[in-house]
Amino acid sequence: MQPIQDKDFDQLFKNAFEDAEITPSRDLWSSIESEIEPKKKRIIPFYWLSAAAVLLIATVGYLIYQQQEVKPKQFANHVEPKVVKPVIETQTVQDSVETVTVPAEKLKQALPTTLKPAEEVAKTTVKENIKTVEKQKIVTAPEMQKQEMVIAQVAQPKEDIKAKIEDAVSKVNQETVLASTSTVVKTDEVTGDDNQEESKGIRNVGDVVNLIVNKVDKRKDKFIQFRTDDDDSSLSSINIGPFKFGKKKK
Amino acid sequence: MEGCKAGDRKMQEMLYKQTASKMLAVCMRYAKDRMEAEDVLQVGYIKVFQKIKEYRGDGSFEGWIRRVMVNTAIESYRKNLRSLNVVEIDEAYEQPSTGFDFGTLGMQDLMKVIQKLADGYRMVFNMYVIEGYSHKEIGETLGISEGASKSQLSRARAILKEEIIKMEGFGYATYTG
Repeated sequence: MQPIQDKDFDQLFKNAFEDAEITPSRDLWSSIESEIEPKKKRIIPFYWLSAAAVLLIATVGYLIYQQQEVKPKQFANHVEPKVVKPVIETQTVQDSVETVTVPAEKLKQALPTTLKPAEEVAKTTVKENIKTVEKQKIVTAPEMQKQEMVIAQVAQPKEDIKAKIEDAVSKVNQETVLASTSTVVKTDEVTGDDNQEESKGIRNVGDVVNLIVNKVDKRKDKFIQFRTDDDDSSLSSINIGPFKFGKKKK
Repeated sequence: MEGCKAGDRKMQEMLYKQTASKMLAVCMRYAKDRMEAEDVLQVGYIKVFQKIKEYRGDGSFEGWIRRVMVNTAIESYRKNLRSLNVVEIDEAYEQPSTGFDFGTLGMQDLMKVIQKLADGYRMVFNMYVIEGYSHKEIGETLGISEGASKSQLSRARAILKEEIIKMEGFGYATYTG
C-alpha cells in the first residue's frame, strides 16, 4: 500500500476500459434502423412513378378507344324518340302488350335508382354500383319512352286518335323530363367529383395523377388512384376491367 | 463493411450487433448514467451509417467507429453544457496518503467513479487518459485553455483517488465485518 504515481493511475483506467463491453439494455437497433430509414424510402416512389406512368398511358388509350365505341350508340338512342311517332305504331300494339307491362315496373325501379348518384355525391361516399346504374340510364331511358308510348296506345285501342296522340305526347313529355333529369344528375356527379378533387389542391405527384385520371375516367372506381391525405402519395386503388386492387372503405 | 457502405440493412445490423457492447462501454465513460450513454450510442450509430462512405480505410474500422462515438459524446456534452466556469479552481490538491490494491478494482467500479465526476472533469479525464488527446486538443475541442485542461485533469485524478479509497475502505470493511 504505497502512494500511486499518476502514470500508473492512468494506466489502471486504460487497461480496465481497453476491451470493456457493456451490453445495451434496450433494443436500440430498431430505433437506429427507423432513423436511417428515410434514405431508402425515396427510391420507392420513383419506381411507382414510372409504373404509374406506363399504366396511365395504357389505360387512357384504352378508355378513349372505349368511349369512341360507346358514343354512336348513345346518339342513336337519343334520336329515336323523335323519329318514332305514336300514330304509326298501331300495328305493333297487339304484339307488344305482354312485354310492355314489365318495363313499366322496371321504369319505376329505375327512376329512384337514377336519383341515387345525386345523394351519393352529396355525401361524397359513392358506392360501386354507380357504374352499372349509369349503364342502365343510357340504355333504358330512351327505350322506356318508347314503351310508354306503346302503353298509351294499348290502353285505349279504339278511342279518339287525337286523345290518344295527346295522351301519348304528354307521357312522352313526362318521360323526356325524366330522361333529362337523369342526364342532369349525371353531369352533376361528374363536375362534383372534379371540384372535390381540385379543391384539395395539388401537393404531390399523387395529386397530379389523380387529377388527370379524374378528367379522363369519370367512374367512381378510377383505373388508378393515389391516396394523398398524408403527404406521402401511395397507391390506393387500381381498377382495370376485371383486375381490381385496393381501397377498403375508409 | 462493404455491405454497410452500400446501405445493406442486414450488414448494418450485423455491424451494430458486433460492436454495440464495446461502444456502449465507451459512451458510458462519457455519460452520467446508462440512459444518457445509450442515447449517445444511438445517435453515434446513426452517424456511423450516414458517414460510413467517408471511411477511407486508414486505421482499424472499429477505431473509426470509436472515434465517431467519442465525438458524438463530446458534442452531446457541449450541447448540454450548463455552466462553463465550474472548474477554474486551484491546481493544488492533497495527494492521498494511502495507496490502494489494484487487484480488487474492476471495470465496473472504475466506471462508477468516473460517472460520479462533474461533467467537465469527466470529459478531460476521458479524453486525455483513455483516448490520448493532448491538452491542446482538449482545450480546442471543449473551448477551454490548455492550462484549464491540465488543472481539471489533476482535479479529476484527485477526486477519483479519493473515491476509490472510499470504495476500497468500504469493501474492506464488508469483508472483515
